[in-house]
Amino acid sequence: MAEPAYTVTSDSETNGEEKSSSAFPETAIGIDIGTSQCSIAVWNGSQVELLKNTRNQKIMRSYVTFKDETPSGGVSNQLSHEHEIFSGAAIFNMKRLIGRVDTDPVVHASKSLPFLVQTLDIGVRPFIAALVNNVWRSTTPEEVLAIFLVELRAMAEVRLKRPIRNVVLTLPVSFSRFQLTRIERCCAMAGLHVLRLMPEPTAVALLYAQQQQQTVHENMGSGSEQIALIFNMGAGYCDVAVTATAGGVSQIKSLSGSAIGGEDILQNMMRHLLPNSESLFLKHGISEIKSMALLRVAAQDAIHKLSSQPSVQVDVDLGNGSKICKVVDREEFEEVNQKVFEKCESLIIQCMQDAKVEAEDLSDVILVGGCSYIPKIRNLVMGICKTQDISMGMNPLEAAVCGAALEGAVASGISDPFGNLDLLTIQATPMSIGIQADGKTFVPIIQRNTTIPARKELVFTTVHDNQTEALIVVYEGDEKKLEENNLLGYFKIGIPPAPKGIPEINVCMDIDASNVLRVLAGVIMPGTPHPVTPLMEVRMPTIDDGHGWCAEALHRAYGSTRDLVTVQKKI
Amino acid sequence: MLSTYFPSVLHSSPPFTGKKISGKPSSPAPASVKFRSRPVVTAAYASAERTRSSYLGPNKMASCLSLYEILGISMGANNQEIKAAYRRLARTSHPDVAAIDRKDSSADAFMKIHAAYSTLSDPEKRADYDRKLFRRHRPFESFSGISSPVTAMSGFSGYTRRNWETDQCW
Repeated sequence: MAEPAYTVTSDSETNGEEKSSSAFPETAIGIDIGTSQCSIAVWNGSQVELLKNTRNQKIMRSYVTFKDETPSGGVSNQLSHEHEIFSGAAIFNMKRLIGRVDTDPVVHASKSLPFLVQTLDIGVRPFIAALVNNVWRSTTPEEVLAIFLVELRAMAEVRLKRPIRNVVLTLPVSFSRFQLTRIERCCAMAGLHVLRLMPEPTAVALLYAQQQQQTVHENMGSGSEQIALIFNMGAGYCDVAVTATAGGVSQIKSLSGSAIGGEDILQNMMRHLLPNSESLFLKHGISEIKSMALLRVAAQDAIHKLSSQPSVQVDVDLGNGSKICKVVDREEFEEVNQKVFEKCESLIIQCMQDAKVEAEDLSDVILVGGCSYIPKIRNLVMGICKTQDISMGMNPLEAAVCGAALEGAVASGISDPFGNLDLLTIQATPMSIGIQADGKTFVPIIQRNTTIPARKELVFTTVHDNQTEALIVVYEGDEKKLEENNLLGYFKIGIPPAPKGIPEINVCMDIDASNVLRVLAGVIMPGTPHPVTPLMEVRMPTIDDGHGWCAEALHRAYGSTRDLVTVQKKI
Repeated sequence: MLSTYFPSVLHSSPPFTGKKISGKPSSPAPASVKFRSRPVVTAAYASAERTRSSYLGPNKMASCLSLYEILGISMGANNQEIKAAYRRLARTSHPDVAAIDRKDSSADAFMKIHAAYSTLSDPEKRADYDRKLFRRHRPFESFSGISSPVTAMSGFSGYTRRNWETDQCW
């Protein structure tokens, strides 16, 4: 065999089939990095198997403890006590921090965590630090996650007795494309190559497709289409998907998601137990951290108990002179978390509307994730979906990682003689993608829930006479206000002098099956069939840390001088 | 929104076949100035999706397959047959399952299949399409306003990294 050529991948290239193309297909492993828990699974040749760590755990806590010189994560670490995680030395909830800027409300909510989350509120990356020997030592969410992934990788390599490189990760629906690049960066830091990043409920959808395939022994394609709603709520995020499945093919019809989860419920509960808890703990002194850990554990415990009993007695001495002695019943619990539950409902309703399905159309309703044990969550899902049966025989904590392992096998080109891998998920874009035009308006080019791979284009024109440049500012999201959407990047395109409204600026967006987004732009002048200048092709996102102020800076620098408007189709 | 556009076209324009489509009055000629003579109404951006590509010659797609042929089904296929055909084709053409060496072209192939499916699985769009197909025997690219993924593809596609030389006419 010839010596492998050295290839430099593009700076923005963090994902791609080509790099991993070796002669031997390696089965990619599936990883579910949850906000609070994590698991890893692989197709073992006949079925999906969850890998266990040395302490025989399939589900591991997602955290990294910084002690002395070597950090250690929840995969290998042996905790002396639960409180150790909350001692200031451990960083957790990475998934709620990664790729977010310090103006993000989710980052601000994380300031009450026992480690240090410092914000300057200017749209840059927040500063996070762990307490090591009474010193706040800085780190980054990416670094913490990478340390954790390295542990997972090492564990999987020991279990599988082979090097691990390719992975399929499940992620929240609401993750921005910038956040996805941060996750890819973490994986690269850990020596892992991302084969696919799957929205969590779509991984569950794939597992559902396989289960359906196994129970309905019918010929491919002849099985009738089943519409399922998948509701997945973990510690950090709540996601919903509607999928149409038949013959092992799962077509994602719609997705919705938001950064709400068990962490919000926990914080509400802590606030309920100790009304001024947040301000109390902002100081982050040693004793405050200790009290906070005690409160956190007590609140968590109470929430768990309230899932199986109508009320709970909370008795905790916070050690700083304040004692909590309170009975909390389920009604109170539901009351303090009303906003969270309302948000869950609105996500389900929106997802069903987007998929154009009614409750009666749903063949199955699947409820997974840690929060699925909360009675209120079960009731609200059952209420909207008008069903009593939401069990589905799936393990709520393992469904996503099993789906990721299936996708890992399918995307690695593994086949199964019994047809157990004759599966396919046809993904959809969770958010619209478009550009700024028509004043400060977000003009979507690819609408949300478009099947990918996808390619769409739209024609724009200039707003000024002899406008020789146009600024193409790309956003994703579905918010009416331009600035509330996620900025993905920007570039300029040159235009020959002409009266306003004459040049045609064609903007095309292409998403391939690996979810890589490319934006192409070209200028056409009347009477010429071809673009007057070379096309621009930009892989998005191009933005980097500290992008929170870029849009504003662009506006300050250019005003409306390089604006575009859409061209209406003449009928 | 766009689908309402086509029936009126059918009635108003003289019958053309094959290569003459580019001349039909309803289809804006590529890069024609007339096409752009409009007041700018910002709210109407969604309708700006072009019906025709300016980059490829208008005749290139003239001998293409019908949506039914793309899915490999008869014109009388019912909704379930359409769905089954779509799934069957997705299973072989989707880039996730296609062989590594065809990943690029399979994305395009899949987009065509999906576009055909989304038109034919929607009763209203299918009725429009059938009417047009029946009357004109015209290749479906002139329906591109309906199945927008198809149109979009004809735009920049010649300039992307995909292999379009072998894939222009589907």
